[in-house]
Amino acid sequence: MLALNPQTRKKLARFRKIRLGYYSFLCLSALIALLSVAELFVNSRALIVHYNDTLYFPTYGSFYPGTTFGQDYSYETNYRELATTFDNSDSDHWVLMPFVPYNPYENDAKGGIMRPEAPDFSAGHFLGTDTTSRDILARLVYGTRTALLFAFAFMCSVYLIGIVIGCAMGYLGGLFDLFFQRLIEIWSNIPFLYMVIIVFSVIPSAASIPVRIGILLSVMVLFSWTSMTYYMRTETYKEKSRDYVAAARVMGAGAPRIIFRHILPNVLSTLVTFMPFTVVSAISAITALDFLGFGLPVPTPSLGELLQQGTANLRTAPWIVTAAFGTLVIILSLVTFIGEAIRESFDPKQFTLYR
Amino acid sequence: MKLKLYLALALLILAACGDSPPQEQSRIIDNTEEVQQYYKDHPDFFSFKTLNDVPSNLDWEDGADLPEVGSSNAVKGGMETVRLADFPRTLRTVGPDSNGGFRPWILDYTSMALAHRHPNQLDYFPGLANRWAVDQDAKTVYVELDPNATWSDGVPITADDYLFIFWFFRTQYITAPWYNNWYESQYTNITRYSDHMISISIPELKPDTDSKVLELRPLPRHFYSEVGDDFIERYQWRFAPTTAAYLLKEGDLKKGRSIKLTRNADWWAKDKKHWRYRFNIDRVNLIVIRDTPKVFEAFKRGDIDQFGLNLSEYWYEKLPNTDADVENGYIHKKWFFNERPRPPYGLWINTDRPLLNEKSVRLGIQHATHWQLVIDQFFRGDYDRLNTANDGYGPFSHPTLSARPFNVEAAMKHFADAGFVERGDDGILMREDGTRLAFTVSSGYESMKDILTILKEEALKAGIEFRVEVLDGTAGWKKVQEKQHDIHFSAFGYSLELYPRFWETYHSSNAYDKAFLEDGSVNPERKSKTQTNNLESFAVFEMDRLIDQYRQASDSETMIKLAHTMSELHHDEASFVPGFYSGFFRLGHWRWIQYPADFSFKHASGPSQYFVHWIDQDIKAETLNARADNLPLTKTIEIYDQYRTAPSP
Repeated sequence: MLALNPQTRKKLARFRKIRLGYYSFLCLSALIALLSVAELFVNSRALIVHYNDTLYFPTYGSFYPGTTFGQDYSYETNYRELATTFDNSDSDHWVLMPFVPYNPYENDAKGGIMRPEAPDFSAGHFLGTDTTSRDILARLVYGTRTALLFAFAFMCSVYLIGIVIGCAMGYLGGLFDLFFQRLIEIWSNIPFLYMVIIVFSVIPSAASIPVRIGILLSVMVLFSWTSMTYYMRTETYKEKSRDYVAAARVMGAGAPRIIFRHILPNVLSTLVTFMPFTVVSAISAITALDFLGFGLPVPTPSLGELLQQGTANLRTAPWIVTAAFGTLVIILSLVTFIGEAIRESFDPKQFTLYR
Repeated sequence: MKLKLYLALALLILAACGDSPPQEQSRIIDNTEEVQQYYKDHPDFFSFKTLNDVPSNLDWEDGADLPEVGSSNAVKGGMETVRLADFPRTLRTVGPDSNGGFRPWILDYTSMALAHRHPNQLDYFPGLANRWAVDQDAKTVYVELDPNATWSDGVPITADDYLFIFWFFRTQYITAPWYNNWYESQYTNITRYSDHMISISIPELKPDTDSKVLELRPLPRHFYSEVGDDFIERYQWRFAPTTAAYLLKEGDLKKGRSIKLTRNADWWAKDKKHWRYRFNIDRVNLIVIRDTPKVFEAFKRGDIDQFGLNLSEYWYEKLPNTDADVENGYIHKKWFFNERPRPPYGLWINTDRPLLNEKSVRLGIQHATHWQLVIDQFFRGDYDRLNTANDGYGPFSHPTLSARPFNVEAAMKHFADAGFVERGDDGILMREDGTRLAFTVSSGYESMKDILTILKEEALKAGIEFRVEVLDGTAGWKKVQEKQHDIHFSAFGYSLELYPRFWETYHSSNAYDKAFLEDGSVNPERKSKTQTNNLESFAVFEMDRLIDQYRQASDSETMIKLAHTMSELHHDEASFVPGFYSGFFRLGHWRWIQYPADFSFKHASGPSQYFVHWIDQDIKAETLNARADNLPLTKTIEIYDQYRTAPSP
């Protein structure tokens, strides 16, 4: 229904014309597509192992113990070592490693000492290693993926709550509106960052890492949904007084139907405009929290943790901060460019000039 | 800590919204009568006698023959800038928030006790006492006070200031349960014979009976006469008269930013042996810089005079021997090996938890933790492996026990004994009923989180999962005190004592209420006991018996034998994975900071602890000029290994 709307189609065409935004959109999409299968590019597990005339694909799924490939240990195969072993033997076994043959957790101290090492193409550390000799590129890739995933999940949850409550306030009005306005006024005056820090230091999280990320997400959503409600409330108020809403009501449509089928598509432009900026703020927030040490649990790779390491080792290991900061700048710029383009193309006043 | 800060901040803001403070602030309190009444109500504890009652056959000691502390070359003067990690939340030395990083400057390292352990010899040299004598039979220490001793405000220090501490530290006003308990349980009597003669008795005789008495510090009775139910607020920002060489003068405290301490030119002990070559610097400027990397930058600029280089990354990378300032001899590097009780860094396994109560699982964990890798690669081989939880106590430490090495096969064999044979899809061992071999490893040490991730990665090989949980310091401590942990990475900061303590950490009465039945079998209804230092929930009937013997023993030989037996028992139970210790401290300092020829002391914990360094103004000018002109001076990197305990790797 949305795609067929000629108005929308026009907006999309306009979006495509805004080159910076459009290409940013393509870049980001490609990046997300790549990141979603990051295991194929950045991994300590091999892509393909050819052993005894059988092909193994260890990337996804359960692990292969060393014994599978004739090694003398029962823990997960070290595929980099396996590759060297095969190369040095006369057999026709072979191993195909990913582009970056490291995972974000392993300490790969080449010189026997864990310390930041500068980028080294021959070792496969394209952006160097961090303070405990972990591959920075691997940590960046998985850290960025977590941040983006987190940001989108954050955006969806915030919008879901914001839209439902905001629309309800605008549509129902009266006491309901009054009550929620006061509630939101109080709620939004609680400083968000402090609350996250306080809540997080109180919850002893013995759970697994995904659960702990989930807790962080819900705490952040809990204190961030308010800002969206006001926009939705005013928009709904405006739309509610339009004739088509009255017509729908006369025809017997219920409140949910009117809100979601009639009003919502018409206020979508407001919504879409805000989306990229919410993503930006979510990425910044999670990075900031990580930087302060209140974000994702160790040893989850994250941009904030890398930034923190980088600033602590500015003199001795500038490549850490460069990598993390560069990535952050690129991602945030891309999203912001997209946001600007969407705002411009969805703006009903086509020739508005902000001066 | 942070949480408390924010709560305090929130309260502060709320308080600021309220009305002006009530009249109570100006309420006059005089506790003189209350204190006197307390003495009267406890006649067994507070005795008043005359000099004739002092036994005549006492064997008096005065420690006068012990060598000087510090160098006779030391000169007074100059200002040193020192970093504070956090601004103190109070100037009180007792009560809430008082145990912070600033307290050593006004109490632990600077103020005087009756006598102090000589940092090289361990014997006592006199502080506020002239001489002392131990009456073994009566479990009593007699002390003659130095009649010249005065508080920094000129008021003489008398016996009353010692009687007073047994009222002060026992009141509820100070909101310090640990002090309440200590001063109620560890002493049985104080007797006043004259203004300058007292005796103090303790419940049990020990090889170091004297230490409990001689390390007492008096309190200025006249200053604390206003102690009452508003003690915490009333004394929050008041600097108490002190026995120390350093004073806090009016206007030298800039809240949130800096504190300047001034050397007391009229300090009563300024010509006293063991004290005269210490506390040489005129002004100590303590400034708040939170981030260590920033402190290092300030040090490199010369704003801060000294910087601890204990961490390998600083010693080797951030201030390498090839650094221009080091190469030119402007900054000197020192590496000093010491000998003292080692903080037992390691994994404390809570044996009250499911799976962890099985010995074979614990033995597996011992072999599944790769501490040697941490020591070799993360600490670059500078640190050493801890072998028992009580290393560094000389003969009291076990001479031959050694920690179990990392060994995947051995670990898996022990896990197999516990029924963990098959690996799951993720490589973690599982029992037939699907129980995974996974534990939370928590810690309150933010700065050591990398160690835990290294251990985690290596432990995977043995099929065990460590879920790393890094908490804020306070939250981490609370967790273990509530015994909510599976495995906790931590250490106790042990003070300089002759022999290790076992009761706190291994006695069953600190693990459970009624751990055992009469016949020594496990009480099936026992409940975990919280708020104790028995972090392993260690309860072994035999151990209780040994600890009781140990506590009653009064001669060193028996105690050494018992200590070794207990260490072996503890080793067998495998509930503590010994980690590492650093047998040294390292320092980088600008050339104008001067140290005695030996640099530091055998039992010192850090270079500044005894305040023996001084500033040479001529050298400072010379160094700054040379640096401005880029002229090289003598490069100085020194290693003092005369007290090294572990053999070189």
